[in-house]
Amino acid sequence: MEQWHSHLLRERVDQSSLLIQGNRACALGALDAGVTFFAGYPITPSSEIMEAMAEELPRIGGVFVQMEDEIASICACIGASLTGKLAMTATSGPGFSLMQEALGYAIIIEAPLVVVNVMRVGPSTGRPTAPSQGDVMQARWGTHGDHPAIVLAASNVADMYRLTMAAVRFAQRFRTPVTVLADQLVGQMRESFSPELVGRYRLTSGDFDFTPGYIRPELAPEVRPPHILGLDEHPHVTGLFHDETGFPTNDPDESNEFLRELYNKVAHHREELCLYDIKNEGKGRVCIVAYGSCARTARAVWRLAEYEGLPVEVLHLYTLFPLPVEIIQQVARRVEFILIPELNLGQYAHEVRKMAEQWTTVIGMGKIDGTLFTPRELLDRIAELTGKYESV
Amino acid sequence: MALEIERFLHTERLPHIWCPGCGLGIITAAFLRVVIDLGLERDKTVVVSGIGCSSRAANYLDLGTVHSIHGRALAVATGVKMARPDFTVIVFTGDGDGAAIGGNHLIHACRRNIDLTCILFNNSTYGMTGGQTSPTMAVGDRSTTARYGQVEPPFDLCRLAEAAGASFVARGTAAQARLIERLIKEGIQHQGFSFIEAVVPCPTEYGRRNALKSPLEMLDNERTRSVTQAQAVKLTQEELAGKIVTGVLHLDEDAPEFQQAYAASARAQAERAGARVQIDMTQKLPVGEQK
Repeated sequence: MEQWHSHLLRERVDQSSLLIQGNRACALGALDAGVTFFAGYPITPSSEIMEAMAEELPRIGGVFVQMEDEIASICACIGASLTGKLAMTATSGPGFSLMQEALGYAIIIEAPLVVVNVMRVGPSTGRPTAPSQGDVMQARWGTHGDHPAIVLAASNVADMYRLTMAAVRFAQRFRTPVTVLADQLVGQMRESFSPELVGRYRLTSGDFDFTPGYIRPELAPEVRPPHILGLDEHPHVTGLFHDETGFPTNDPDESNEFLRELYNKVAHHREELCLYDIKNEGKGRVCIVAYGSCARTARAVWRLAEYEGLPVEVLHLYTLFPLPVEIIQQVARRVEFILIPELNLGQYAHEVRKMAEQWTTVIGMGKIDGTLFTPRELLDRIAELTGKYESV
Repeated sequence: MALEIERFLHTERLPHIWCPGCGLGIITAAFLRVVIDLGLERDKTVVVSGIGCSSRAANYLDLGTVHSIHGRALAVATGVKMARPDFTVIVFTGDGDGAAIGGNHLIHACRRNIDLTCILFNNSTYGMTGGQTSPTMAVGDRSTTARYGQVEPPFDLCRLAEAAGASFVARGTAAQARLIERLIKEGIQHQGFSFIEAVVPCPTEYGRRNALKSPLEMLDNERTRSVTQAQAVKLTQEELAGKIVTGVLHLDEDAPEFQQAYAASARAQAERAGARVQIDMTQKLPVGEQK
């Protein structure tokens, strides 16, 4: 950690704790994870990520380019990724929409890449300065065709740091683009956190190591070894369906195998990829399943509910896709209600309902006015649900 | 030479998908002769292409080849070049790929003057999708989407590239294989953004709808319409109509190249930062620096 002399890094002069904006924490996480290439285009509320990278990357021998639009930004990242560089871009809804075709290209050519989407209220220009979770299903299915997707959701400044690191690691290990969803609130708020403590933080799902400067991860077993431009080879790369030589194929069997392998390399590693945290495990009649800013409210409810005598579990999801099927089903088997507060009209609630409705009642709570849920709103809904249950 | 360029072709991928009489092969062969002539290293030469007939050339070249998405070859190539400045990066694109859907990336690559060589195969039509109107199609020409004749004026891509800041701009035709070879060679050698428009015949989708029945007729037409820049300056505006001005049309050897300018700026900043660290050390963090 020598040479911490720039503006961004001056914020971490004392490493035990720093007060930092979410977007800047994201940039810091990317740098600590070894990102050396960033191409982007300004958009509220994500621009601070790009600004921080513009300041840091040139002085550490990395590359920062401000491109002419978001399409060019992700394409430049793909180009850099093909030479073996760790590349990242950041944007918000409208830019994320523009990136979708190229995101599919990165998936099919298996180029590791991190895309951060600091969500604002949409569709269209929407409300650029208010938080939303309206891009959840776009992050899963935005590009055309069947494809794998790894989508993480940040709920606070520390998450912006460590989930960006996790995204870099997943992107490398599975050789696929990884999307980090944040929102205007998480991206632009300031909180204190300690990168060193975050490094030791463990999530319930496993032993994910967030220590800054971790070593380059090995490839997952299903992932084909990459062909990197210039590393004593000159591969052919194409967005057409291709065989193991990299050249196009129209053969039905090869096409089938190609796409299934692409899909399954993520699907088969759900256990490793699904990061979550569970509070009051096994003690609730109601489980709040939450992610992103809504998880902030949910975690507050978890403490308040105990005080008010309401039996509440909280499942905080850091990984939205691949779907955390196992943990959702475990919870579904033991609670009477699953409550999903979201800053959208129930995008993720539909996903959870598909997994859980045979065991429990899944209730979505949607909010699209650009404000967060208050703990009171959730507590009242829980009281209503459990009360209703008593009177039946 | 014919056999020699085979060293740089995936011959097992042949025959190619291009129609009989297509001009793309002439330009691709000229490019490979330049690769041999300049002794470019196979592992450090990258061809990035978009989508379309011309971009399919990347499938046959035994070099580092990136067949990217429609219109975005220049953006991908910008990433490759910035990540690996030691690479020779060539972009293969077409008039639809490079000037319509990718027009924004074209002007910005020109403006940056990044050291890429962009060979734009201009056949004035969308060949792969069945002969639709392209932004370089002349007024009055017919296509499957201009059944009664094109009414929009076309781009002059070389003037566009020059105005946008490209430091090497040239044009040749498939009828002049030697000329196009020289232009590609000079373009690759040039430090900065090199834009080379290669006018190529598409007898299948363009010629047969525009009274140019055979490939030979199309090549002849290109040859007779071609004038050098020296000849062009003596012609009136009316006489120039329909002519193809060939050769190096613009050259600025002093324009700063983007990657080098970026590296120089980064180096200077690192030195300044180094100096500031020293000051910080001696003064034990001035108060102003602690916030």
